[in-house]
Amino acid sequence: MSAAHFGAAVSRNEDARLLTGQALFVDDVQLEGMLHAAFLRSDYAHARITNLDVSAAQESEGVVAVYTAADLGEYWQPGPLLVPPQPIERLEFHCATQVPLAKDKVRHVGEPIAVVVARSRYEAEDALPLIRVELEPLPAVANPVAALEPDAPRIHEQFESNLAAHAIQEKGDYASIVDQAALVVRRHLDHDRGASAPMENRGVVASWDRKCGELTVWDTTQAPIPIRNGLARMLGLPETQVRVIAPFIGGGFGPKIMMFYPEEVLLPWVTMQLGQPVKWIEDRQESFFATTQERSQVHDAELAVDAEGRILGVRDVFVYDAGAYNPYGLTLPINTQCTLLGPYEVPNYYTEFRAAFTNKPIVSPIRGAGRQPGVFVMERLLDIAARELGIDVMEIRRRNFLPPDAFPHDHGIIYQDSASLVYDSGNYLPALERAAEMIDYHRFLDETQPALRAEGRHVGIGIVSYVEGTGIGPYEGARVSIEPSGRVNLATGVGTQGQGHFTSFAQIAADQLGVEVADVEVVTGDTGKFHWGTGTFASRGAVVAGNACHAAAVALREKILEQAAQELEAATADLELVAGTARVKEAPERSIAFGELAVRANPLRGGVKPGTEPGLEATAYFGPEKGSTASGVHAMIVEVDPETAMVDVQRYVVVHDCGKVINPTIVRGQIIGGVAHGIGNCFYEQLVFDENAQLQNASFMDYLIPTATDVPPVDTDHIETPSPFNPLGIKGAGEAGAIPTNPLFAQAVENALQVPGLEVLEMPLSPNRLFELLCAAREAD
Amino acid sequence: MEIQSEFVFNGSRDDLWANLLDPTVLAKALPGTKLELVEEDRYEGQMEATVGPVTAARFDVTIELVDKVAPESFTMRVDGKGAAGFTKGTALVQLAEQGPTETLMKYTADLQVGGRIAGVGQRLLDSVANSMSRQGLEAINRHLQGEAPAEAAAPLQLLSRPVLAAIAVVIIVAVLLVVLL
Amino acid sequence: MRELHAIQLTVNGVRHERSVEARLLLSDFLRQELELTGTHVGCEHGVCGACTVLVDGEAVRSCLMFAVQADGSEITTVEGLADGGAVPDLHPLQAAFRDAHALQCGFCTPGVLLTLIPFLEQNPDPDEQTIREALSGNLCRCTGYQSMVEAVRALAEGVGR
Repeated sequence: MSAAHFGAAVSRNEDARLLTGQALFVDDVQLEGMLHAAFLRSDYAHARITNLDVSAAQESEGVVAVYTAADLGEYWQPGPLLVPPQPIERLEFHCATQVPLAKDKVRHVGEPIAVVVARSRYEAEDALPLIRVELEPLPAVANPVAALEPDAPRIHEQFESNLAAHAIQEKGDYASIVDQAALVVRRHLDHDRGASAPMENRGVVASWDRKCGELTVWDTTQAPIPIRNGLARMLGLPETQVRVIAPFIGGGFGPKIMMFYPEEVLLPWVTMQLGQPVKWIEDRQESFFATTQERSQVHDAELAVDAEGRILGVRDVFVYDAGAYNPYGLTLPINTQCTLLGPYEVPNYYTEFRAAFTNKPIVSPIRGAGRQPGVFVMERLLDIAARELGIDVMEIRRRNFLPPDAFPHDHGIIYQDSASLVYDSGNYLPALERAAEMIDYHRFLDETQPALRAEGRHVGIGIVSYVEGTGIGPYEGARVSIEPSGRVNLATGVGTQGQGHFTSFAQIAADQLGVEVADVEVVTGDTGKFHWGTGTFASRGAVVAGNACHAAAVALREKILEQAAQELEAATADLELVAGTARVKEAPERSIAFGELAVRANPLRGGVKPGTEPGLEATAYFGPEKGSTASGVHAMIVEVDPETAMVDVQRYVVVHDCGKVINPTIVRGQIIGGVAHGIGNCFYEQLVFDENAQLQNASFMDYLIPTATDVPPVDTDHIETPSPFNPLGIKGAGEAGAIPTNPLFAQAVENALQVPGLEVLEMPLSPNRLFELLCAAREAD
Repeated sequence: MEIQSEFVFNGSRDDLWANLLDPTVLAKALPGTKLELVEEDRYEGQMEATVGPVTAARFDVTIELVDKVAPESFTMRVDGKGAAGFTKGTALVQLAEQGPTETLMKYTADLQVGGRIAGVGQRLLDSVANSMSRQGLEAINRHLQGEAPAEAAAPLQLLSRPVLAAIAVVIIVAVLLVVLL
Repeated sequence: MRELHAIQLTVNGVRHERSVEARLLLSDFLRQELELTGTHVGCEHGVCGACTVLVDGEAVRSCLMFAVQADGSEITTVEGLADGGAVPDLHPLQAAFRDAHALQCGFCTPGVLLTLIPFLEQNPDPDEQTIREALSGNLCRCTGYQSMVEAVRALAEGVGR
């Protein structure tokens, strides 16, 4: 094998295209005769549609067609349940999925009612106000706890209540140990909603070629293959005649996964009706209603510890806000249940949740995917227990870490992949110590903080731990091939939204084939190029697709060596692959270029041996039996102005363990980007709904995502505990940065203010809200 | 949202009472408004507003006056629907004499705002409600004093995207309606 | 049919004459009429900065401007930064971004580059805080901005030498 590209900080293959404006995003697709769609959406969170008249809109200038649910006929079907309920005993689950266009009733603001198709987006939007829609408002419910009250407005009539699910998971016997505990900490914790807010909104372009019977769809999806298969089924087309392309995607962070969003389902149908291509690009305001959101949960939790602060057990009962529909099943609350355990030994655990339908936009995973509320609960309870027992917050974590010899560690509860929650490997203490060293934890507490305090400054420190289950199955695949020109192509099914797949997958293949990273042309997310796999979610791209790329490259390497051995009349063991050629190690002048091998592997005349597979090409798949568990420690220093409650994040340290690192530059970028997202989630970003479930801040003027002056410099370091569950030893890294920020922020703010009775038990924490908490604590004191 | 404010008119309470309930006066204070008295104490109409190069957010409105105690107070029920959202609510308007040519108006409106105007309007609503209602009230005040009413709402260029600009107009008009009537 | 207005403008050194509706946004004009799709639209209300282009040398949000308002002006989009748009000819700022991994999904990147170009002309050696303030009108959800700051610093140090 030549110089290792795996592990090297190489610059990215895709950057030149992105930097020069040459990269194709969905909105960049322009086709001859392309029409444009705009959606009429509900202004009410809950209402009955009593009348709908589109005739005036149809007459509007430039309008080609207007469709309502009534026009869809048999095509009108609720979307699929994307994740079937996990096999939890005594589980109660009620599924109601979104529909392409609302028929009788709307259940959240922004639910689509009609679609206008016109020559331009401007003309389509001109026609929207001409649609006469009469909506009879019904009482709406925004709060998930209120939604479960017996007299709450019923969102789905087919169910007896708004209960979407109820599940209990247990390990050990919490009830039997709670009496033995030296301390039981009981708290109510609240976590509210945010938006994923990628800079590129969603979009779909669909084009039906009647003569070829071929449908092509450009879609900002994270999972083009399931979308292709689903569309083929819905439209009655052969899968081979449907091509879904997820080109460059301007950030995903979860909600762009295979939702079968109304627009995603409708545009392919519209192009088949009209025989012309049609485009819909979500505008930013629409995205606040029409794209999925996440993270509202309300917890009543307790932690039982012994006198030394060792965890005896945890009991957590929570309500999870599913929004108006629940196509994503139970992934999020199960992630919460599982991730709450963190890197700790928790012998007894009782966890119960109720999922509630509300009249708010649909909930599906966003970067972290249910893990944030779980980590928030556990880390906060540990902080409070440490305070009550007079133990340092680092020390209580140290005492409870699973030891390095505890792996693989089976927690005995069900994870989102329907298998038992097993941690593959981990070594938590070095990360904690390294983070403490990087932020100078002890000196800060012993010297810096008292000195600053003497100057009247309120500066505080925080340090927290977390784990993240990543890289779950089922599987991904890859095909690596070499053309007669000598070009190396790599195709895989996962979509890419900025994670650097064009580079990290190329690094993996380049090592096996003895070529440069820049020589490997990677294609992702185009079902015309590769059509087996699932998609990009759960921090699984590098783990699952990465290992598939590796397996395919290894297979191709073998194929090259065997062919070259025949051509060069040498043993394969005596050959090496260097700079796009195969050559004899001891006699490098005896060599043959890959391109020439490719030509000979695809003869146009003459016979071949039976069983010969043509071409220099290999396809392989990888499906891990279980996911890999990444982990890490974050630490931060904040300064709080006690008068205004403004918080200034001054330093941020991350020590992260994602196993073997393919490209440290890319991983660092993922981590720091995640931290910025996390800082937004804990301080700036809250979707505020009024009691009628009307969103109050549906623009970037009012929903604030962090800017360059809000995000502190972040120092990162890596600890490497390879995963034994995949050949490359990789763990996922995409979501980690955003996961532990909330409890970290809370701990650091409390440490800065040191106001007795001030406990931060809710997220996000705006300066306003912190000010209120401060006033309440001062009054009570 | 709740709006509470007061305004002093240079006119007697009886004159003010008559003017406040005259749809033609209101239309002058609200350019682009067509209001009709369809039955006793019930007005229906449409509003259209133009902002810069953008033509018109159209808004269908129904206004009902209830609990009328001439010339002291009345309550209004407002129901407005348009492409950019809806507004619904009640407003209590009270008039107190402060001398023969001066009347104090106090108004309290409790408004439900929904749809896209709720999503982008929150920050604008308060300040717009204040400044625009003042302009509208001043227009009525000038009318009371026998002057020709000036344009109440100067064209606003708050947001450039046509839809957003239209929404801003609708917010303004909705707030005006509630506080004015 | 709505009234059309004749405009002429120069984009990346090429002169264009078109007739457009008064309401056509400059961003839509560049993307749809001229097919210069490197200018991205992220929020349509002037907050995110993805659509930033240079109009007569100044960074302008093309979603907040009508095409008719750009009549007679000279515009630079991201396509006009690299000579020929080819890889070896990246503008030094583009190369600095690549070297510092200052982009991930790349959607906000064109607007960031065009914000920074006039900024760097006026501040050839900015410190970190100044760079962050210059970037604070451009939203990025991927990078956390740190690598952008590092890219600008690296460029400034290289240029300063």
